[in-house]
Amino acid sequence: MRWSLLGAAVVTLVVFLLAQRTQGIDVSYGRSPSPSDAGQQSDEDAESDETGARGESSLPSVEEMTAMVAADPVVRLPGAVARWDERDVAEAIGDADIRIIVAPPGLDEDERSQVREVENATIAIFGTKITGDGYVVVADRLSGWRTQFGTADVTGRLITLITEVAEREEPEPETTPEFRWREPSGAELDTVAADLRADGVHVADGATLERVPERPSETAFPDEDALYVALPTQDIGEPIARYGPALTRLFPDRPVVVLYGSWIEYDGPNATDFAELVSTMFYSRFDERLSVDGYPQANVLGVWLNHVTDVRYAGLFDRPLPYEPPDPLTVTLPALPWLFAACVVGFVVLSLRPLSRHNTARTPGPRARLAGLTALAIEVSGLTDERSDPALTRGIGKLDAARDALDSDLPARQVRALLDDAESELDDTARLLGRTDYRPRNYLEGGLG
Amino acid sequence: MPPSWLIWLVGGVVLVAAGVASTLLPRLRARDLRRRTAWSTARAAIDSASVSRDACQDQVAEAEQLLARAESIAADRGGAGAADEAAALAERADRLWREARRG
Repeated sequence: MRWSLLGAAVVTLVVFLLAQRTQGIDVSYGRSPSPSDAGQQSDEDAESDETGARGESSLPSVEEMTAMVAADPVVRLPGAVARWDERDVAEAIGDADIRIIVAPPGLDEDERSQVREVENATIAIFGTKITGDGYVVVADRLSGWRTQFGTADVTGRLITLITEVAEREEPEPETTPEFRWREPSGAELDTVAADLRADGVHVADGATLERVPERPSETAFPDEDALYVALPTQDIGEPIARYGPALTRLFPDRPVVVLYGSWIEYDGPNATDFAELVSTMFYSRFDERLSVDGYPQANVLGVWLNHVTDVRYAGLFDRPLPYEPPDPLTVTLPALPWLFAACVVGFVVLSLRPLSRHNTARTPGPRARLAGLTALAIEVSGLTDERSDPALTRGIGKLDAARDALDSDLPARQVRALLDDAESELDDTARLLGRTDYRPRNYLEGGLG
Repeated sequence: MPPSWLIWLVGGVVLVAAGVASTLLPRLRARDLRRRTAWSTARAAIDSASVSRDACQDQVAEAEQLLARAESIAADRGGAGAADEAAALAERADRLWREARRG
């Protein structure tokens, strides 16, 4: 019992010490499981796969590019994606000498500065980022981002920059609406719906979605498996098929995520609650990176889904937070010192009890025998003569010693040995007297009476 | 509530103290008991020997010597070993006197 208590105390101590090592202070409420919590992590996530997206195109040298720009007011380097309405832009340029160089997305810092060194280019476009004359033109609302990432159409911003560079005061010319929706045709919708019914994903030709990121998808849409439609960057100037609402009618209560290039549309449950919010958060934060670097759709989708998860855990979905069972160790940790103290006290009490218990178990045997032998010695003492006196005296001495031993709690063995000595002396005495009835064995058998 | 490290500290000290006490105390007690037992035997043997000496008319020099040694050891007190030795001496003296008396 006390050893098990000691063991429990030691186990408690060990558990406590181990817990001290592993436990950090970690207070969270409804922590979002998305990795983007850690700030730059999603950037790094995006970056880690980025190498595959980088164009293998090797840039021409600065001199070559300068010559190209001198020969042609618009130079598109291999892999360039930015497009614009030629007519509107030409109109905006008018007779100003504005030369444009269009670089592909995914250039690294050195390559970008190489393009910037092309002195005679007024405007440089990296991916869909437009820079020129010290200006950078960025989209600042969803419609702008939709145009930029869904169609790589830079007309509006390009015209803004041209107006700025040409230092013209007149208002910007009217441009055709950049992004127009249309209902998908029956055939288009059937193709997509068939794929979605089969495995929940439709990847159109030219789309770069290789796989749907599984974990972000599960945490972002835990209730219903989301449907994913990946389309390539759309052509400009044509209305674009809007699959979301049509698919929502076909698959009610399923989240529908449609990617047009790097632009993500969401339709389905709670769409009004968070779709715009998430898109605004996402594109305002990653505008720069998405413009300059050409990420595969899987990376873009993964980071976007993490944003959805964050929003979900921020409580905007108005749903109860997922139940997190309390960690038993954390709950018991404050009680451990007391448990330990209780074990120690129990152990000590149980250990001390046998020590404090006095060996007072007075067995009646030796006392009765001592009393009997003493009575015999007194009876015989009146009869002894000179021959038997020493034996009797020695016997009485042994009896005294035995009484002392009994009184001072000496072990029973010692008392018995002394009583045995005394008995043999008294036996001698009786033998010397010739009185067999005074031999201790016979005498004690008859009892004291 | 006292800081928990105090509980660990006090608990640990108490445990160590209990460990020391629970091994040391019985050992000391057993040693003391053995010493007292041995002296009880030795005193009884010396008493018996002195009775035998008084009962014997003849002088037995060797027995006298043995008993004197036993008594001097007893007078010095000492541990269980000394007591055992004194008891052995006294018993030998006792036996010598008894043989002398029996003739």
